[in-house]
Amino acid sequence: MLKLSDIKNNKYLVNFLYLIFFIFFVGTIAFPFIWQFLNSFKTQRDLFSVPPTFWPTEWTLENYIDAFTRQPFLSYIKNSFVIAILSTFLSITIGSLASYSISRTNIKFKKTYLLLLLSITLLPPITIVNPLYMLMRSLNLLNSYLGLAIVNTIFGLPLAVWFLSGFFDTIPKELEESALIDGATIFQAFYKIIVPLVIPGIFTVSILVFIAAWNQYLFAQILNPLRVRRTITVGITLYQTDYTIPWGTISAASIIVTVPLLILVLLLQRKIISGMLEGGVKG
Amino acid sequence: MKSKDKMGYLFIIPSLILIFALILYPVFNTLYLSFFNYRVQTMALGKTFVGLRNFIKIFNDETFFKSLKFTLLFTVVAVSMETIIGMIFANIMNRKLPGQGIIRTSVLIPWAIPTIISGLMWKFMYSQQYGIINHIFLKLQFIKEAIPWLSDSFVAVIAVIIADVWKTTPYMSLLILSGLQTIPIQLYEAAAIDGANRKDIFLKITLPLIKPVLSVAILFRVLATFRIYDLIAVLTSGGPANATQSLSLYTIKTYFDFGNIGYGAALATVTFIISLLISLLFLDSLKSKLE
Repeated sequence: MLKLSDIKNNKYLVNFLYLIFFIFFVGTIAFPFIWQFLNSFKTQRDLFSVPPTFWPTEWTLENYIDAFTRQPFLSYIKNSFVIAILSTFLSITIGSLASYSISRTNIKFKKTYLLLLLSITLLPPITIVNPLYMLMRSLNLLNSYLGLAIVNTIFGLPLAVWFLSGFFDTIPKELEESALIDGATIFQAFYKIIVPLVIPGIFTVSILVFIAAWNQYLFAQILNPLRVRRTITVGITLYQTDYTIPWGTISAASIIVTVPLLILVLLLQRKIISGMLEGGVKG
Repeated sequence: MKSKDKMGYLFIIPSLILIFALILYPVFNTLYLSFFNYRVQTMALGKTFVGLRNFIKIFNDETFFKSLKFTLLFTVVAVSMETIIGMIFANIMNRKLPGQGIIRTSVLIPWAIPTIISGLMWKFMYSQQYGIINHIFLKLQFIKEAIPWLSDSFVAVIAVIIADVWKTTPYMSLLILSGLQTIPIQLYEAAAIDGANRKDIFLKITLPLIKPVLSVAILFRVLATFRIYDLIAVLTSGGPANATQSLSLYTIKTYFDFGNIGYGAALATVTFIISLLISLLFLDSLKSKLE
């Protein structure tokens, strides 16, 4: 009898500890975001009150208006969006072609190629930032959509090839062979038979490349400094001046950028997690 | 050659062109320029070969050593904390308990938020006067007076580490979880029948079996942390007094603020060589990734 109650107590204790962990974990992870969210609706007085007030004493949309009027924020959003879409498109196109060769044909130097791809993920971007800057300048691609998108593409390529070649491997060879016997060219077999079957994989890679491109800062700052082609990540750091940091405006701008991203992530979390785990460990 | 293999070469060419133009050429260009004196201000005069002089200068450059020391310290502490906390989280997430869905969902929040924005979030939370962190700590009586989180050289290092651990631990725990889930439950059952205790089970079953996943994860985290730029650029800009200046930040400043391309290239080369050495340490786990 005694033993049974011991086990029971132990179980309650474990559950209790788990509850504490749960609150602590979810709380710590979510708090900065919730705090930013509340701050975006606060007046100047609330933001800079000592001690800080948790809830806004007065809810205001002032910060959201400021976010769009102090800087051309809408144009930053457009730039980030166009560049991220372009990066995704290029990574998928170039990546799925390469994945097909790796998975389906007997080309030489496959290992060397995969090693090259791996080295991209290991390479510190700082090593190539200046040559890329000079290259883009000589190609007249500074402050362009394409220049930054190409750079994002090369960093998305390892993930795309790893993930997609794994997908290609799962498709039975007979499907393609029967298409070839029916008189299709290899290229037709590729984009009419194979590509439609790997759409789920393409979708997962697209989300991950899109998010990485959307979050790009280092190259966005160096390659696209001009206001007309500036991306969100760069623009959002420029609300502050030497004298003031308008935290309300910055919070509002952060929320505008983050909320669509979080909705996307929460809706597609299964795919994202599988992509993150499968496509290698990219930070 | 079969026509299909010809197609294979054709299909791989676009990606090869990108790799050569955007990775290999730039790497060699940086190595090459590190042997020259080359400045934006005197670009019209061209570059002059100076041999190893840039590297000799690095060895006498206090700012470089300060940045290197900070970057290494930051990498070791942050990655260790991420790994240990990630391991604990992953073990809890691996149990069949209620609310796991919420945990796994919330794990993705810090990962999805752009580093720049998480840096801005933490910057305001760290504010000495208006920041919520000091407020909570004072309320809970953890501290007696407000901490100057970002303006004290020592505390600022801790502040940067906390912000980084917040951002990357969830991701680490997902990776470790994926390793844990590959361990067949029968192994644990058998061990329990044999009377093994928790510590033995962890050290002799769990750890060896997740080692491949773990070592690759740690390698990628070490390299990613070693090249840290975004978080520091927005959180501290390397201050106070260069206390949190990472190698990447110093290199970017040398290139684009001081316009010293030759010296910047030498700094980038040193960063490259250190990353290469770190990768070689993990060669075995990388090999498993290629197979």
